[in-house]
Amino acid sequence: VSDQVDVDELRTWLEDGYANSVRTAYLILGNRPDAEDAVQESFLRAWKFRDSLVTGASFKPWLYRVVVNTCNSKLRKEIPHRSRRHNDDDWEDVAVIEDRISQVAVTNDVMTALKDLPAHLRIVIVLRYYADLSERDIAAVIGRQPGTVKSRLNEARRRLALHPALQPEAPSPINVRKENHS
Amino acid sequence: MNPFDEEELRRALRESANGFTVSTDAMERILDEARELPTLEKRRRLHSFVERTSRVKSSVMAAAACVVVLAVAVPLVNAESPAMSAAGAHRPLVQTNAEKIAIPSAVSGTGFESGIVLPQSEAQILGLTSPVQGTAATGLAVTVTNAKNSTSDGSEATQSSLRVEEVGTIQLSVGGTKFQSTLTQLTDFATTDGGFVQSTQSHMGTKASHSYSTGSIVLQVPEHNFTMLVDQVRHAGMATSVVTSANDVTGQYVDLQARISALQVSRAQYLKIMTRTGTISGILQVQSQLNQIQSQIEQLQAQLGLLNSETTYATLTVILTQSGHQAVTPNHSRSGLDKAWHDSLHGFAVGVEWLIRIAGPLLFMLLLVAALLLIGRLLWRVTERRRNRIG
Repeated sequence: VSDQVDVDELRTWLEDGYANSVRTAYLILGNRPDAEDAVQESFLRAWKFRDSLVTGASFKPWLYRVVVNTCNSKLRKEIPHRSRRHNDDDWEDVAVIEDRISQVAVTNDVMTALKDLPAHLRIVIVLRYYADLSERDIAAVIGRQPGTVKSRLNEARRRLALHPALQPEAPSPINVRKENHS
Repeated sequence: MNPFDEEELRRALRESANGFTVSTDAMERILDEARELPTLEKRRRLHSFVERTSRVKSSVMAAAACVVVLAVAVPLVNAESPAMSAAGAHRPLVQTNAEKIAIPSAVSGTGFESGIVLPQSEAQILGLTSPVQGTAATGLAVTVTNAKNSTSDGSEATQSSLRVEEVGTIQLSVGGTKFQSTLTQLTDFATTDGGFVQSTQSHMGTKASHSYSTGSIVLQVPEHNFTMLVDQVRHAGMATSVVTSANDVTGQYVDLQARISALQVSRAQYLKIMTRTGTISGILQVQSQLNQIQSQIEQLQAQLGLLNSETTYATLTVILTQSGHQAVTPNHSRSGLDKAWHDSLHGFAVGVEWLIRIAGPLLFMLLLVAALLLIGRLLWRVTERRRNRIG
Protein backbone atom coordinates (compact mmCIF):
# COMPACT_ATOMS: atom_id res chain seq x y z
CA VAL A 1 0.00 0.00 0.00
CA SER A 2 2.79 2.36 0.89
CA ASP A 3 4.45 1.62 -2.43
CA GLN A 4 1.22 2.53 -4.20
CA VAL A 5 1.07 5.78 -2.23
CA ASP A 6 4.63 6.52 -3.21
CA VAL A 7 3.94 5.85 -6.89
CA ASP A 8 0.99 8.21 -6.71
CA GLU A 9 3.33 10.78 -5.30
CA LEU A 10 5.66 10.18 -8.19
CA ARG A 11 2.76 10.65 -10.58
CA THR A 12 2.15 14.04 -9.00
CA TRP A 13 5.81 14.91 -9.43
CA LEU A 14 5.68 13.91 -13.05
CA GLU A 15 2.54 15.87 -13.75
CA ASP A 16 4.04 18.93 -12.13
CA GLY A 17 7.53 18.81 -13.43
CA TYR A 18 8.09 16.33 -16.21
CA ALA A 19 7.41 18.62 -19.18
CA ASN A 20 9.53 21.45 -17.77
CA SER A 21 12.30 19.05 -16.88
CA VAL A 22 12.37 17.60 -20.38
CA ARG A 23 12.51 21.05 -21.95
CA THR A 24 15.26 22.14 -19.57
CA ALA A 25 17.24 19.01 -20.27
CA TYR A 26 16.65 19.57 -23.97
CA LEU A 27 18.17 23.03 -23.75
CA ILE A 28 21.14 21.67 -21.85
CA LEU A 29 21.76 18.55 -23.89
CA GLY A 30 20.66 19.76 -27.29
CA ASN A 31 18.40 16.92 -28.38
CA ARG A 32 15.13 15.39 -27.35
CA PRO A 33 15.99 11.68 -27.01
CA ASP A 34 18.86 12.44 -24.65
CA ALA A 35 16.69 14.90 -22.75
CA GLU A 36 13.91 12.35 -22.32
CA ASP A 37 16.38 9.66 -21.23
CA ALA A 38 17.98 12.01 -18.76
CA VAL A 39 14.69 13.12 -17.28
CA GLN A 40 13.39 9.58 -17.03
CA GLU A 41 16.55 8.58 -15.23
CA SER A 42 16.33 11.68 -13.06
CA PHE A 43 12.80 11.05 -11.92
CA LEU A 44 13.50 7.44 -11.09
CA ARG A 45 16.60 8.45 -9.21
CA ALA A 46 14.82 11.26 -7.39
CA TRP A 47 12.01 8.95 -6.45
CA LYS A 48 14.40 6.26 -5.28
CA PHE A 49 16.24 8.69 -3.05
CA ARG A 50 13.20 10.73 -2.08
CA ASP A 51 14.13 10.29 1.59
CA SER A 52 17.12 12.53 1.03
CA LEU A 53 14.84 15.50 0.38
CA VAL A 54 14.90 17.42 3.62
CA THR A 55 11.47 18.03 5.04
CA GLY A 56 10.38 21.58 4.31
CA ALA A 57 13.00 22.05 1.62
CA SER A 58 11.91 23.35 -1.75
CA PHE A 59 11.14 20.55 -4.15
CA LYS A 60 11.73 22.41 -7.38
CA PRO A 61 15.47 23.17 -6.97
CA TRP A 62 16.03 19.69 -5.66
CA LEU A 63 14.42 18.15 -8.74
CA TYR A 64 16.36 20.49 -10.99
CA ARG A 65 19.50 19.44 -9.21
CA VAL A 66 18.78 15.82 -10.03
CA VAL A 67 18.05 16.69 -13.65
CA VAL A 68 21.13 18.89 -14.03
CA ASN A 69 23.38 16.27 -12.46
CA THR A 70 22.02 13.60 -14.75
CA CYS A 71 22.52 15.88 -17.74
CA ASN A 72 26.04 16.63 -16.60
CA SER A 73 26.71 12.95 -16.27
CA LYS A 74 25.48 12.36 -19.80
CA LEU A 75 27.52 15.27 -21.15
CA ARG A 76 30.62 13.90 -19.49
CA LYS A 77 30.26 10.19 -20.08
CA GLU A 78 27.88 9.34 -22.89
CA ILE A 79 27.48 12.09 -25.39
CA PRO A 80 31.18 12.84 -26.12
CA HIS A 81 31.78 9.17 -26.95
CA ARG A 82 28.80 8.80 -29.19
CA SER A 83 29.25 8.74 -32.93
CA ARG A 84 27.05 11.49 -34.24
CA ARG A 85 25.31 10.37 -37.37
CA HIS A 86 23.14 13.34 -38.02
CA ASN A 87 22.95 16.88 -36.91
CA ASP A 88 19.20 16.50 -36.81
CA ASP A 89 19.36 15.55 -33.18
CA ASP A 90 20.74 18.93 -32.24
CA TRP A 91 18.50 21.81 -31.36
CA GLU A 92 15.80 21.78 -33.91
CA ASP A 93 15.04 24.85 -35.84
CA VAL A 94 11.83 26.40 -34.78
CA ALA A 95 9.17 26.10 -37.36
CA VAL A 96 8.93 29.17 -39.50
CA ILE A 97 5.68 30.98 -39.47
CA GLU A 98 5.31 33.80 -41.89
CA ASP A 99 4.40 36.52 -39.45
CA ARG A 100 7.05 35.55 -36.91
CA ILE A 101 9.95 35.09 -39.24
CA SER A 102 12.23 37.58 -37.51
CA GLN A 103 11.62 36.07 -34.08
CA VAL A 104 12.29 32.60 -35.42
CA ALA A 105 15.58 33.78 -36.82
CA VAL A 106 16.50 35.21 -33.45
CA THR A 107 15.61 31.99 -31.71
CA ASN A 108 17.73 29.95 -34.06
CA ASP A 109 20.68 32.29 -33.63
CA VAL A 110 20.35 32.20 -29.86
CA MET A 111 20.24 28.43 -29.88
CA THR A 112 23.32 28.31 -32.08
CA ALA A 113 25.14 30.55 -29.65
CA LEU A 114 23.85 28.55 -26.68
CA LYS A 115 25.12 25.34 -28.24
CA ASP A 116 28.62 26.78 -28.39
CA LEU A 117 28.68 27.65 -24.72
CA PRO A 118 30.51 25.29 -22.38
CA ALA A 119 28.14 23.03 -20.46
CA HIS A 120 28.63 24.72 -17.09
CA LEU A 121 27.75 28.11 -18.56
CA ARG A 122 24.88 26.74 -20.63
CA ILE A 123 23.34 25.20 -17.52
CA VAL A 124 23.25 28.47 -15.58
CA ILE A 125 21.79 30.31 -18.56
CA VAL A 126 19.05 27.72 -19.02
CA LEU A 127 18.26 27.61 -15.31
CA ARG A 128 18.18 31.37 -15.07
CA TYR A 129 16.33 32.30 -18.25
CA TYR A 130 14.26 29.25 -18.94
CA ALA A 131 13.60 27.71 -15.54
CA ASP A 132 13.43 31.15 -13.93
CA LEU A 133 15.41 30.11 -10.90
CA SER A 134 17.03 32.70 -8.69
CA GLU A 135 20.79 32.82 -8.38
CA ARG A 136 20.51 31.29 -4.93
CA ASP A 137 18.41 28.41 -6.26
CA ILE A 138 20.80 27.89 -9.15
CA ALA A 139 23.63 27.76 -6.62
CA ALA A 140 21.74 25.05 -4.76
CA VAL A 141 21.07 23.17 -7.98
CA ILE A 142 24.65 23.12 -9.19
CA GLY A 143 26.14 22.84 -5.72
CA ARG A 144 28.18 26.05 -5.90
CA GLN A 145 28.23 29.39 -4.17
CA PRO A 146 25.86 32.14 -5.37
CA GLY A 147 28.93 34.20 -6.25
CA THR A 148 30.06 31.47 -8.60
CA VAL A 149 26.65 31.46 -10.23
CA LYS A 150 26.78 35.21 -10.69
CA SER A 151 30.20 35.08 -12.30
CA ARG A 152 29.17 32.20 -14.54
CA LEU A 153 26.08 34.08 -15.64
CA ASN A 154 28.16 37.13 -16.46
CA GLU A 155 30.66 35.06 -18.37
CA ALA A 156 27.86 33.27 -20.28
CA ARG A 157 26.17 36.53 -21.19
CA ARG A 158 29.48 38.00 -22.30
CA ARG A 159 30.17 35.03 -24.54
CA LEU A 160 26.68 35.08 -25.97
CA ALA A 161 27.01 38.77 -26.78
CA LEU A 162 30.30 38.12 -28.54
CA HIS A 163 29.08 35.10 -30.43
CA PRO A 164 29.28 35.54 -34.25
CA ALA A 165 25.68 34.46 -34.69
CA LEU A 166 24.59 37.41 -32.60
CA GLN A 167 26.95 40.01 -34.06
CA PRO A 168 25.81 43.09 -36.04
CA GLU A 169 27.18 41.54 -39.24
CA ALA A 170 24.44 39.07 -38.90
CA PRO A 171 21.77 41.48 -37.76
CA SER A 172 19.41 40.05 -35.27
CA PRO A 173 16.53 41.64 -33.48
CA ILE A 174 18.40 41.19 -30.20
CA ASN A 175 21.13 43.54 -31.29
CA VAL A 176 18.68 45.80 -33.02
CA ARG A 177 16.65 45.99 -29.86
CA LYS A 178 19.81 46.64 -27.86
CA GLU A 179 20.65 49.50 -30.15
CA ASN A 180 17.16 50.86 -29.79
CA HIS A 181 17.43 50.66 -26.04
CA SER A 182 20.69 52.53 -26.05
CA MET B 1 27.16 45.21 -17.64
CA ASN B 2 24.72 43.05 -19.44
CA PRO B 3 24.89 43.92 -23.13
CA PHE B 4 22.12 41.48 -23.74
CA ASP B 5 18.41 41.74 -23.86
CA GLU B 6 17.49 39.22 -21.23
CA GLU B 7 13.84 39.18 -22.13
CA GLU B 8 14.71 38.32 -25.70
CA LEU B 9 16.95 35.53 -24.52
CA ARG B 10 14.21 34.24 -22.27
CA ARG B 11 11.73 34.34 -25.09
CA ALA B 12 14.09 32.58 -27.47
CA LEU B 13 14.78 29.79 -24.99
CA ARG B 14 11.10 29.27 -24.33
CA GLU B 15 10.27 29.31 -27.96
CA SER B 16 12.91 26.72 -28.70
CA ALA B 17 12.06 24.50 -25.75
CA ASN B 18 8.34 24.74 -26.25
CA GLY B 19 8.67 24.01 -29.94
CA PHE B 20 7.83 20.35 -29.36
CA THR B 21 5.22 18.49 -27.39
CA VAL B 22 6.27 16.30 -24.54
CA SER B 23 4.90 12.84 -24.79
CA THR B 24 3.08 11.55 -21.72
CA ASP B 25 3.94 7.97 -22.64
CA ALA B 26 7.31 8.48 -21.06
CA MET B 27 5.60 9.36 -17.81
CA GLU B 28 3.79 6.04 -17.81
CA ARG B 29 7.04 4.24 -18.50
CA ILE B 30 8.64 5.97 -15.53
CA LEU B 31 5.73 4.97 -13.33
CA ASP B 32 5.97 1.37 -14.52
CA GLU B 33 9.65 1.26 -13.77
CA ALA B 34 9.06 2.87 -10.42
CA ARG B 35 6.58 0.14 -9.50
CA GLU B 36 9.26 -2.47 -10.13
CA LEU B 37 11.87 -0.50 -8.32
CA PRO B 38 11.01 -1.34 -4.69
CA THR B 39 12.02 -4.95 -5.08
CA LEU B 40 15.21 -3.92 -6.78
CA GLU B 41 15.78 -1.36 -4.12
CA LYS B 42 15.26 -3.89 -1.39
CA ARG B 43 17.81 -6.12 -3.08
CA ARG B 44 20.21 -3.21 -3.30
CA ARG B 45 19.61 -2.34 0.33
CA LEU B 46 20.35 -5.92 1.27
CA HIS B 47 23.42 -5.86 -0.91
CA SER B 48 24.63 -2.62 0.59
CA PHE B 49 23.90 -4.01 4.05
CA VAL B 50 26.02 -7.04 3.25
CA GLU B 51 28.70 -4.79 1.83
CA ARG B 52 28.56 -2.57 4.85
CA THR B 53 28.64 -5.56 7.13
CA SER B 54 31.65 -6.93 5.33
CA ARG B 55 33.27 -3.50 5.53
CA VAL B 56 32.61 -3.38 9.25
CA LYS B 57 33.86 -6.91 9.50
CA SER B 58 37.02 -5.96 7.64
CA SER B 59 37.56 -2.98 9.90
CA VAL B 60 37.04 -5.08 13.00
CA MET B 61 39.40 -7.72 11.64
CA ALA B 62 42.02 -5.12 10.81
CA ALA B 63 41.71 -3.61 14.28
CA ALA B 64 41.93 -7.07 15.84
CA ALA B 65 45.01 -7.85 13.73
CA CYS B 66 46.63 -4.61 14.90
CA VAL B 67 45.89 -5.45 18.52
CA VAL B 68 47.29 -8.96 18.11
CA VAL B 69 50.42 -7.65 16.38
CA LEU B 70 50.93 -5.09 19.13
CA ALA B 71 50.26 -7.66 21.83
CA VAL B 72 52.88 -9.95 20.33
CA ALA B 73 55.38 -7.30 19.34
CA VAL B 74 55.55 -5.35 22.60
CA PRO B 75 56.54 -8.26 24.86
CA LEU B 76 58.87 -9.53 22.13
CA VAL B 77 60.63 -6.21 21.89
CA ASN B 78 60.89 -6.03 25.67
CA ALA B 79 62.23 -9.57 25.87
CA GLU B 80 64.57 -9.21 22.95
CA SER B 81 66.42 -6.11 24.04
CA PRO B 82 68.55 -7.86 26.73
CA ALA B 83 68.85 -10.97 24.62
CA MET B 84 70.08 -9.04 21.63
CA SER B 85 72.68 -7.24 23.67
CA ALA B 86 73.74 -10.54 25.19
CA ALA B 87 74.23 -11.99 21.75
CA GLY B 88 76.79 -9.35 20.93
CA ALA B 89 80.47 -9.73 21.63
CA HIS B 90 80.46 -6.94 24.16
CA ARG B 91 77.64 -6.99 26.56
CA PRO B 92 77.72 -4.29 29.17
CA LEU B 93 75.90 -5.24 32.30
CA VAL B 94 75.50 -2.04 34.20
CA GLN B 95 73.46 -3.02 37.18
CA THR B 96 72.43 -1.54 40.42
CA ASN B 97 74.22 -2.50 43.54
CA ALA B 98 71.43 -4.76 44.72
CA GLU B 99 71.35 -6.57 41.39
CA LYS B 100 75.06 -6.85 40.98
CA ILE B 101 76.50 -7.92 44.29
CA ALA B 102 76.40 -11.63 44.96
CA ILE B 103 74.78 -13.21 47.94
CA PRO B 104 77.38 -15.60 49.32
CA SER B 105 74.79 -17.82 50.93
CA ALA B 106 73.20 -18.39 47.59
CA VAL B 107 76.36 -19.95 46.26
CA SER B 108 77.68 -21.63 49.38
CA GLY B 109 77.96 -25.34 48.99
CA THR B 110 78.51 -25.12 45.30
CA GLY B 111 82.24 -25.11 45.70
CA PHE B 112 82.60 -21.52 44.62
CA GLU B 113 83.51 -18.55 46.66
CA SER B 114 81.34 -15.90 45.12
CA GLY B 115 79.38 -15.01 42.06
CA ILE B 116 77.10 -12.61 40.31
CA VAL B 117 73.53 -13.61 40.63
CA LEU B 118 71.96 -14.07 37.23
CA PRO B 119 68.48 -15.24 36.43
CA GLN B 120 68.06 -18.55 34.67
CA SER B 121 67.19 -16.81 31.39
CA GLU B 122 70.43 -14.83 31.49
CA ALA B 123 72.42 -18.00 32.04
CA GLN B 124 70.72 -19.59 29.05
CA ILE B 125 71.40 -16.54 26.93
CA LEU B 126 75.07 -16.77 27.81
CA GLY B 127 75.10 -20.24 26.32
CA LEU B 128 75.78 -22.28 29.39
CA THR B 129 75.43 -25.99 28.87
CA SER B 130 72.78 -27.89 30.70
CA PRO B 131 74.98 -29.94 33.14
CA VAL B 132 76.33 -26.77 34.67
CA GLN B 133 73.31 -24.60 34.29
CA GLY B 134 72.26 -25.30 37.83
CA THR B 135 75.42 -23.83 39.20
CA ALA B 136 76.09 -21.43 36.37
CA ALA B 137 72.77 -19.80 36.93
CA THR B 138 73.89 -18.87 40.39
CA GLY B 139 76.39 -16.43 39.03
CA LEU B 140 78.47 -15.24 36.15
CA ALA B 141 81.67 -15.17 38.17
CA VAL B 142 81.10 -18.75 39.17
CA THR B 143 81.62 -19.87 35.63
CA VAL B 144 84.77 -17.78 35.41
CA THR B 145 85.96 -19.31 38.63
CA ASN B 146 85.65 -22.66 36.96
CA ALA B 147 88.66 -21.71 34.91
CA LYS B 148 90.88 -22.40 37.83
CA ASN B 149 88.70 -24.44 40.10
CA SER B 150 87.49 -26.77 37.44
CA THR B 151 86.12 -29.98 38.74
CA SER B 152 85.56 -33.24 36.96
CA ASP B 153 81.86 -32.59 36.39
CA GLY B 154 82.27 -31.04 33.01
CA SER B 155 82.90 -27.50 34.15
CA GLU B 156 85.89 -27.25 31.85
CA ALA B 157 83.59 -27.08 28.93
CA THR B 158 81.92 -24.07 30.41
CA GLN B 159 85.25 -22.50 31.24
CA SER B 160 86.44 -22.75 27.69
CA SER B 161 83.18 -21.49 26.28
CA LEU B 162 82.66 -18.39 28.39
CA ARG B 163 84.98 -15.43 28.65
CA VAL B 164 83.84 -12.36 30.52
CA GLU B 165 85.78 -9.24 31.34
CA GLU B 166 84.53 -7.31 34.30
CA VAL B 167 85.23 -3.75 35.35
CA GLY B 168 83.78 -1.57 38.05
CA THR B 169 84.00 1.81 39.69
CA ILE B 170 83.14 2.60 43.28
CA GLN B 171 83.05 6.02 44.84
CA LEU B 172 83.81 5.83 48.52
CA SER B 173 83.40 8.52 51.07
CA VAL B 174 85.54 8.12 54.20
CA GLY B 175 86.26 10.18 57.25
CA GLY B 176 89.21 12.53 57.10
CA THR B 177 91.20 10.59 59.70
CA LYS B 178 90.54 7.24 58.08
CA PHE B 179 91.62 8.23 54.61
CA GLN B 180 95.11 6.76 54.73
CA SER B 181 94.04 3.65 56.58
CA THR B 182 91.33 3.03 53.99
CA LEU B 183 93.88 3.18 51.21
CA THR B 184 95.97 0.60 53.01
CA GLN B 185 92.89 -1.52 53.62
CA LEU B 186 92.02 -1.48 49.93
CA THR B 187 95.52 -2.59 49.01
CA ASP B 188 95.19 -5.43 51.48
CA PHE B 189 91.89 -6.49 49.93
CA ALA B 190 93.53 -6.80 46.53
CA THR B 191 96.49 -8.84 47.73
CA THR B 192 94.33 -11.06 49.94
CA ASP B 193 92.07 -11.82 47.01
CA GLY B 194 95.01 -12.87 44.89
CA GLY B 195 95.28 -9.63 42.98
CA PHE B 196 97.40 -6.52 42.98
CA VAL B 197 97.23 -2.74 42.92
CA GLN B 198 97.59 -1.43 39.41
CA SER B 199 97.88 2.24 40.33
CA THR B 200 97.17 4.69 43.11
CA GLN B 201 96.82 8.41 43.24
CA SER B 202 96.15 10.40 46.38
CA HIS B 203 96.17 13.92 47.62
CA MET B 204 96.24 14.48 51.35
CA GLY B 205 94.45 17.61 52.38
CA THR B 206 95.32 19.76 55.36
CA LYS B 207 93.38 22.25 57.38
CA ALA B 208 96.06 24.83 56.85
CA SER B 209 95.68 24.75 53.11
CA HIS B 210 91.86 24.43 53.39
CA SER B 211 91.96 21.41 51.11
CA TYR B 212 90.58 17.93 51.57
CA SER B 213 91.90 14.48 50.81
CA THR B 214 91.10 12.77 47.55
CA GLY B 215 92.51 9.78 45.76
CA SER B 216 91.90 6.85 43.52
CA ILE B 217 93.20 3.32 43.47
CA VAL B 218 92.90 0.76 40.70
CA LEU B 219 92.73 -2.83 41.88
CA GLN B 220 93.03 -5.97 39.81
CA VAL B 221 91.85 -9.28 41.18
CA PRO B 222 91.14 -12.65 39.62
CA GLU B 223 87.80 -12.66 37.91
CA HIS B 224 86.22 -15.03 40.40
CA ASN B 225 87.11 -12.75 43.33
CA PHE B 226 85.75 -9.60 41.74
CA THR B 227 82.36 -9.69 43.38
CA MET B 228 83.85 -10.41 46.74
CA LEU B 229 86.22 -7.49 46.32
CA VAL B 230 83.35 -5.19 45.40
CA ASP B 231 81.54 -6.28 48.52
CA GLN B 232 84.58 -5.69 50.69
CA VAL B 233 85.28 -2.27 49.21
CA ARG B 234 81.70 -1.18 49.65
CA HIS B 235 81.95 -1.81 53.36
CA ALA B 236 85.28 -0.08 53.74
CA GLY B 237 83.53 3.30 53.72
CA MET B 238 80.30 4.87 52.61
CA ALA B 239 79.78 3.87 49.01
CA THR B 240 78.12 6.73 47.17
CA SER B 241 78.20 5.05 43.79
CA VAL B 242 78.78 1.49 42.60
CA VAL B 243 78.97 0.79 38.89
CA THR B 244 80.02 -2.54 37.49
CA SER B 245 79.87 -3.92 34.00
CA ALA B 246 80.65 -7.22 32.35
CA ASN B 247 81.54 -7.76 28.72
CA ASP B 248 81.06 -11.16 27.24
CA VAL B 249 84.01 -11.59 24.89
CA THR B 250 83.52 -15.28 24.34
CA GLY B 251 82.70 -14.80 20.68
CA GLN B 252 85.79 -12.70 20.12
CA TYR B 253 87.90 -15.24 22.01
CA VAL B 254 86.60 -18.21 20.05
CA ASP B 255 87.03 -16.32 16.81
CA LEU B 256 90.65 -15.57 17.58
CA GLN B 257 91.30 -19.20 18.50
CA ALA B 258 89.71 -20.41 15.28
CA ARG B 259 91.70 -18.00 13.15
CA ILE B 260 94.92 -19.01 14.84
CA SER B 261 94.13 -22.69 14.29
CA ALA B 262 93.35 -22.10 10.64
CA LEU B 263 96.57 -20.15 10.14
CA GLN B 264 98.55 -22.85 11.88
CA VAL B 265 97.11 -25.44 9.51
CA SER B 266 98.07 -23.21 6.58
CA ARG B 267 101.55 -22.82 7.96
CA ALA B 268 101.95 -26.61 8.26
CA GLN B 269 100.84 -27.04 4.64
CA TYR B 270 103.28 -24.40 3.42
CA LEU B 271 106.04 -26.12 5.32
CA LYS B 272 105.18 -29.37 3.55
CA ILE B 273 105.17 -27.56 0.22
CA MET B 274 108.55 -26.08 1.02
CA THR B 275 110.12 -29.51 1.54
CA ARG B 276 108.93 -30.53 -1.92
CA THR B 277 109.99 -27.36 -3.70
CA GLY B 278 113.16 -27.80 -5.68
CA THR B 279 113.78 -24.33 -7.05
CA ILE B 280 115.09 -21.35 -5.17
CA SER B 281 112.39 -19.03 -6.50
CA GLY B 282 109.73 -21.47 -5.32
CA ILE B 283 111.30 -21.69 -1.90
CA LEU B 284 111.41 -17.91 -1.69
CA GLN B 285 107.76 -17.58 -2.61
CA VAL B 286 106.72 -20.15 -0.02
CA GLN B 287 108.96 -18.50 2.53
CA SER B 288 107.28 -15.18 1.88
CA GLN B 289 103.87 -16.71 2.44
CA LEU B 290 105.12 -18.41 5.58
CA ASN B 291 106.40 -15.13 6.94
CA GLN B 292 103.05 -13.47 6.40
CA ILE B 293 101.19 -16.32 8.07
CA GLN B 294 103.62 -16.37 10.98
CA SER B 295 103.16 -12.64 11.44
CA GLN B 296 99.39 -12.97 11.46
CA ILE B 297 99.56 -15.85 13.93
CA GLU B 298 101.70 -13.79 16.29
CA GLN B 299 99.38 -10.82 16.08
CA LEU B 300 96.37 -12.95 16.82
CA GLN B 301 98.13 -14.74 19.65
CA ALA B 302 99.00 -11.38 21.19
CA GLN B 303 95.36 -10.33 20.99
CA LEU B 304 94.34 -13.64 22.48
CA GLY B 305 96.83 -13.21 25.29
CA LEU B 306 95.53 -9.73 26.03
CA LEU B 307 91.97 -10.96 26.02
CA ASN B 308 93.00 -13.83 28.24
CA SER B 309 94.57 -11.53 30.78
CA GLU B 310 91.59 -9.18 30.66
CA THR B 311 89.24 -12.02 31.37
CA THR B 312 91.50 -13.50 34.02
CA TYR B 313 91.71 -10.32 36.06
CA ALA B 314 88.88 -7.95 36.80
CA THR B 315 89.54 -4.26 37.32
CA LEU B 316 88.00 -2.19 40.07
CA THR B 317 88.61 1.54 40.32
CA VAL B 318 87.94 3.04 43.72
CA ILE B 319 87.59 6.80 43.99
CA LEU B 320 88.09 8.01 47.52
CA THR B 321 86.80 11.29 48.82
CA GLN B 322 86.78 12.81 52.22
CA SER B 323 83.37 12.82 53.91
CA GLY B 324 81.38 15.94 53.23
CA HIS B 325 83.14 16.69 49.95
CA GLN B 326 82.34 15.78 46.42
CA ALA B 327 84.75 13.98 44.18
CA VAL B 328 87.32 16.23 42.63
CA THR B 329 85.85 18.08 39.75
CA PRO B 330 87.85 20.66 37.91
CA ASN B 331 86.32 24.04 38.45
CA HIS B 332 87.96 26.65 36.36
CA SER B 333 86.96 30.16 37.07
CA ARG B 334 86.11 31.81 33.83
CA SER B 335 86.27 35.37 32.74
CA GLY B 336 83.11 37.17 31.66
CA LEU B 337 83.53 36.64 27.94
CA ASP B 338 84.67 33.05 28.35
CA LYS B 339 81.73 32.32 30.60
CA ALA B 340 79.35 34.03 28.19
CA TRP B 341 80.79 32.01 25.31
CA HIS B 342 80.43 28.76 27.22
CA ASP B 343 76.95 29.69 28.35
CA SER B 344 76.09 30.43 24.76
CA LEU B 345 77.43 27.07 23.61
CA HIS B 346 75.57 25.38 26.41
CA GLY B 347 72.40 27.19 25.45
CA PHE B 348 72.86 26.16 21.84
CA ALA B 349 73.37 22.54 22.85
CA VAL B 350 70.32 22.67 25.10
CA GLY B 351 68.31 24.13 22.24
CA VAL B 352 69.42 21.41 19.85
CA GLU B 353 68.66 18.77 22.47
CA TRP B 354 65.22 20.28 22.94
CA LEU B 355 64.61 20.29 19.21
CA ILE B 356 65.66 16.66 18.91
CA ARG B 357 63.56 15.76 21.91
CA ILE B 358 60.40 17.31 20.54
CA ALA B 359 61.04 16.17 16.96
CA GLY B 360 59.74 12.67 17.69
CA PRO B 361 56.46 13.64 19.34
CA LEU B 362 56.01 16.44 16.80
CA LEU B 363 56.51 14.04 13.91
CA PHE B 364 54.05 11.67 15.51
CA MET B 365 51.52 14.47 15.95
CA LEU B 366 52.00 15.56 12.35
CA LEU B 367 51.47 12.02 11.12
CA LEU B 368 48.39 11.73 13.30
CA VAL B 369 46.99 15.00 12.00
CA ALA B 370 47.80 13.96 8.42
CA ALA B 371 46.05 10.64 8.94
CA LEU B 372 43.01 12.37 10.44
CA LEU B 373 42.93 14.86 7.58
CA LEU B 374 43.18 12.05 5.09
CA ILE B 375 40.35 10.17 6.74
CA GLY B 376 38.29 13.35 6.93
CA ARG B 377 38.95 14.10 3.29
CA LEU B 378 38.00 10.57 2.27
CA LEU B 379 34.81 10.74 4.31
CA TRP B 380 34.00 14.13 2.86
CA ARG B 381 34.57 12.87 -0.66
CA VAL B 382 32.46 9.79 -0.07
CA THR B 383 29.67 11.93 1.37
CA GLU B 384 29.96 14.41 -1.46
CA ARG B 385 29.94 11.68 -4.07
CA ARG B 386 26.94 10.07 -2.48
CA ARG B 387 25.15 13.39 -2.32
CA ASN B 388 25.95 14.03 -5.95
CA ARG B 389 24.76 10.58 -6.86
CA ILE B 390 21.55 11.17 -4.98
CA GLY B 391 21.28 14.60 -6.53
